[in-house]
Amino acid sequence: MLYWVYDLTTTNFAILMIAVFVVFYWLGAIFLRPFLRQFIKSTRAANDVVGYILSCFCVFYGLLLGLIAVTAYQNGSDTAANVTREAAALSALYEDVSRYPDPYGQNLTWLLRDYTRYTIKYAWPLQQRGIVPAEGTIRAQAFQEKLLDFQPQNPAEEILHAEALRQFNNFLEARRMRLFSVNTCIPAVMWYVVILGAVLTMVMVWLFDMKLLGHMLLGGMLAAYLGTMIFLIAAMDNPFRGEVSVSAEPFEALYKHMVSE
Amino acid sequence: MPSTERKRSRPVARREFLQTGGVAATLAAARTLAPALFVGCSVGLPKQSATVPIGLLHSQTGTMAISEASVRDAELFACEQINAAGGILGRMVETQAPDTRSRADLFPKRAREMIDAGVVALFGCWTSASRKAMLPVLEETDRLLFYPVQYEGNESSPQVVYGGAVPNQQVLPAIDWLLSDEGGRRRKIFLLGSDYVYPRTTNYIVQKYLETKPMVVVGQRYLPLGERNFKEAVREILATEADCVLNTVNGDSNLGLFADLAAAGVDPQRVPVVSTSVAEDELRNLLPGNVAGHYAVSCYFQSVPLAANQEWVSAFRREFGFDRVTGDPMEPAWCLVHLWKKAVEKAGSFATEDVRAALRDGLDYDGPGGMIRIDPKTQHCTKYFRLGRIRRDRQFDIVRESAAPLAPEPYPQVAFPGWKCDWTQGGLVRGEEVRIDGNI
Repeated sequence: MLYWVYDLTTTNFAILMIAVFVVFYWLGAIFLRPFLRQFIKSTRAANDVVGYILSCFCVFYGLLLGLIAVTAYQNGSDTAANVTREAAALSALYEDVSRYPDPYGQNLTWLLRDYTRYTIKYAWPLQQRGIVPAEGTIRAQAFQEKLLDFQPQNPAEEILHAEALRQFNNFLEARRMRLFSVNTCIPAVMWYVVILGAVLTMVMVWLFDMKLLGHMLLGGMLAAYLGTMIFLIAAMDNPFRGEVSVSAEPFEALYKHMVSE
Repeated sequence: MPSTERKRSRPVARREFLQTGGVAATLAAARTLAPALFVGCSVGLPKQSATVPIGLLHSQTGTMAISEASVRDAELFACEQINAAGGILGRMVETQAPDTRSRADLFPKRAREMIDAGVVALFGCWTSASRKAMLPVLEETDRLLFYPVQYEGNESSPQVVYGGAVPNQQVLPAIDWLLSDEGGRRRKIFLLGSDYVYPRTTNYIVQKYLETKPMVVVGQRYLPLGERNFKEAVREILATEADCVLNTVNGDSNLGLFADLAAAGVDPQRVPVVSTSVAEDELRNLLPGNVAGHYAVSCYFQSVPLAANQEWVSAFRREFGFDRVTGDPMEPAWCLVHLWKKAVEKAGSFATEDVRAALRDGLDYDGPGGMIRIDPKTQHCTKYFRLGRIRRDRQFDIVRESAAPLAPEPYPQVAFPGWKCDWTQGGLVRGEEVRIDGNI
């Protein structure tokens, strides 16, 4: 897969996509257009026919691009919401267990701190490479083991413990959702349709009977916009990759609070 | 006329356009692709560096988690510092830290998995059972294990770099202290430990050592790792009228032991307990009232009054939290990672053979607890001996410290006559076989 594009800055990624589409269009306009025009040059009002078909085609293709862009945005947005939910549950859990009597309280807060630190320093870079981090599970298990060790000694501790267990379940759920999101992306088959649609759009524009300069200008603009749209979808796809991605900021803010005196 | 003109001018316009367009397209493509071509694909974002994987083998769940998780943190901290300073031989250290669940049988399995995945060296283990279980895998794959914990000796493998103390650097000086005026001239000792290799072998060495000393072993008892009920053992201590206890209990079993000692009214002034596996991390879990006044032997305490130590403790706390504590074997674990770095840099290679050769040149490292040096003959470290009295704030007052680092003696001749080790000249010389309560 072309995951290396996520190593580019957003600007370079956009320029690359636009350049690829425009250059493709221009090359086609210079080298392929003369042959393609052979098929329709005897047709009267060929431009009207091509224009009509292109407009019909663009309605469907535009809808497809729009829906895919929304899906990509929604994926990223859902992942960001899950990350925030996990950090919020972690924060609430941290506050709950910090009220446990020592040594349970201290052990449990240290374990949550360890989990948060791991998530920021080790899990996030792995997620950005599309790898599901495994060692966070060990830290969550270590915390669960110690949490279940605690035996409440009075009604207040019972309530606190029940609340901590509830928050722990919320945290586990959000964490699992985050891990599922690591490799969330638009299916390959959708990309094939998008690329095919873009190519067909440009082929149809080549069929217009226009001066080459007009082709270069108008077709180039259309190709540039197609490139921009596809860049937008690609940049928003894969929620943890690239510059336009979900950050570890909620965890960083929480960890800052955890390690401060 | 217009049509004639058009015919004449058309090819010119196209040529010019093609020229201009070609130049523009080439420039645009060059602008976009050149950075990727010349510096790889990491344009604008931090370049992902080449890495070298190492394995950190520690129990993060189960009875040993309380002790081992902090050692893992010290090793991670060392790796992060090394990476922040540019890595080793231009490569960033990448850590893998699976959970061995306090089960000795899982150590070799996890080790093999990591070695198959390409790790060049392993750091970790706590119990001797886990270390010994690892040896066949290390020998088969020719990898080095950097072991940071004090242990019983009676072992020297070319596959292991021993960063912790052996009995002549830890337990035996503590016995001498108990015999001294300062230690209260104790004469009757009770040996209490978890039931595995380290406590049994250590106590065997102590018994042999005491054959020429004015102190008798009045009893010894071993309980399974993880055991929390020490009532019967404490009754036995009281019944034997022991005037001191050598405690080789490991992990969170110490919670039960000190609770039962306190419940039975054992006074640290009258019957001090000298522990070998109780450091600052373990003290967090013990009620100060139960442990204050008892002792622990170690090569490092957080309260060591060295500037390098204070700096290290502050840096560790800045990174892991203001209330974190440091202790032995966190300090040797941290030092061993740096020693490995020095050895790799000296060897100019990550290959085990080269690193081992560099280590055997007698590398040293000025750690938070003072200078440590690899003994080329045994691949053990020279270490300071320190004895600390437990304070109510869960720290130690250092009551005895060796004047200089003590050389390691993995085979004390009182216990293992004829056994010697010199990896610079032929390796291990075997003496008479010694049987220690079922363990050879």
